[in-house]
Amino acid sequence: MLAVDVVKRGGERPSESFERIKLERSIRAALLSVRTPDGQAEDTARRVTDIVEQWLAEHSEVTSYDIRLRASGALEQLHPDAAYLYKHHKVIM
Amino acid sequence: MAKKSLFDYDLIVIGSGAGGSAAATIAAREGRKVAIIESDTFGGDSPNWSDIPQSALSHAAHLYYEARHGARFGLRTLTIGYNYPSLRAWKNIAIERTGTANNRKFYESHGIDAYVGHAHFLSPNEISVNRRHLSATSYLIATGSHWETPSIPGLADVEYLTPRTLLEELRPPKSLYVVGGGTVGVEIAEIMAIFGTKVYIAEAAGRILPEEDEEIGQLMERYLQERRGITSLTQTRTTAVVKDGLGVRITYSRGGVEKSVRVDKVVIATERVPSVDLGLENASVEYTPAGITVNDALQTTAHHIYAAGDVLGKARSTHTALLESRVAVHNILHKKATSPDYTATPRITFTSPAIATVGLNEDDCLRRDLKVDVALAPLNIVARSNTSDFRDGFVKIVADKKGIILGATIVAPDAAEMIGELALAVKYGLTANQVATTPHAFLSWSEAIRVAAGKLA
Repeated sequence: MLAVDVVKRGGERPSESFERIKLERSIRAALLSVRTPDGQAEDTARRVTDIVEQWLAEHSEVTSYDIRLRASGALEQLHPDAAYLYKHHKVIM
Repeated sequence: MAKKSLFDYDLIVIGSGAGGSAAATIAAREGRKVAIIESDTFGGDSPNWSDIPQSALSHAAHLYYEARHGARFGLRTLTIGYNYPSLRAWKNIAIERTGTANNRKFYESHGIDAYVGHAHFLSPNEISVNRRHLSATSYLIATGSHWETPSIPGLADVEYLTPRTLLEELRPPKSLYVVGGGTVGVEIAEIMAIFGTKVYIAEAAGRILPEEDEEIGQLMERYLQERRGITSLTQTRTTAVVKDGLGVRITYSRGGVEKSVRVDKVVIATERVPSVDLGLENASVEYTPAGITVNDALQTTAHHIYAAGDVLGKARSTHTALLESRVAVHNILHKKATSPDYTATPRITFTSPAIATVGLNEDDCLRRDLKVDVALAPLNIVARSNTSDFRDGFVKIVADKKGIILGATIVAPDAAEMIGELALAVKYGLTANQVATTPHAFLSWSEAIRVAAGKLA
């Protein structure tokens, strides 16, 4: 697991550790909401999370907004409709 | 009673290179509480990894070249050679002697708190450095730039070099393929070629040094081919890189024809991109991949955050970053804002001959539809050309119809030193006649400036 602290929305403290599964689940939910087949949603969510994790590897502390931006940016390339929903959905983590 | 600050510092400078160091020391001298953050080596790229080490190696390389070719002056230099580990040791001495390389203690001695790590904005006034939270009233972002890896198939699977890592190699490679024929690509290509490396420069544009006037690219291409044995592959797109034994095989497309070459190493010197991955969104600082957006006062879209140096994505030179650093800190510390004046900022390519330009070049004037007069004085018309046995190069001056000098280009052995006079002319609006009637020392290269200016007077 990546040792990255995530500062929550609105600057809530203390920050919490990054959890891959939470991110992957939120992306998958966005994909399923736009009627993406289950298998494709799982695969896309995994790929997007991998990209975000790659970015996180160079950071020790980020905000949940950073993660949302990176995830929606990566999702935009793979599934623009789901990315729109993900970007504008307030509660993601 | 003085109001207690809500923040840890008055100013946090992110990046200790030329864009950050001047601002940090000026603010500290003016009694502000300052912190500086560095994610790599204190002092930044210029003294540690680019300008200084490259210049030190370049000086040695040109001495070596001149000595080897001294027979025409009656020198016996057939047995001259070099020891690359000693050259590297010399390069390291030059780095240490600058005083700015790896200079964390310098900041601490000035009362500046120095932190090592990546800075990441958590909110407009707070950053995280290795999970340590620091806050400041004002910020200066001077994170510089880094070499961008182009998307060439197979490149990620081979060990490629950048100009920075090339200078750290234990010995010069036998053959080298440089992707990018801009200033740095040409400079490192020349150094390596002098030390015996067979060099190929691949440039997508129609000439090497595409930012300069056409005749410069053409002259340098010919000169590097004839004198250094460098093959310039212009209008060339590198299409694939594959490992081939201990080296790499490069496939490139030139004029629609695909060819390949096997080399020991490949260097990526195409483009430097601003280093903007520091959570700028959390501080409402607008940016693009081309750099941070600032106004004339170098203020970002967050009013308490300024930016200077390569991270702005404009001209990339240490002297420009220093200028911006001073302007930014002035604007942070004082109410009356100033702007950096770039009109007379010289641009130098440290080859031999060197290339120095200032102000507008002929192409700039054409693009702006400016009516100008242009005069060119080849170096071989001045006496120094005879005594130094050097004939390639010229001085070119661009002036408006009133004779006011707008810009100049010099290709000469001492071009970097010569351009100062014309920078002064551009900055203060001197006429070609004023320059031409100023005495220029006989047997100096600067006589060519007088001759070129005289043609416009």
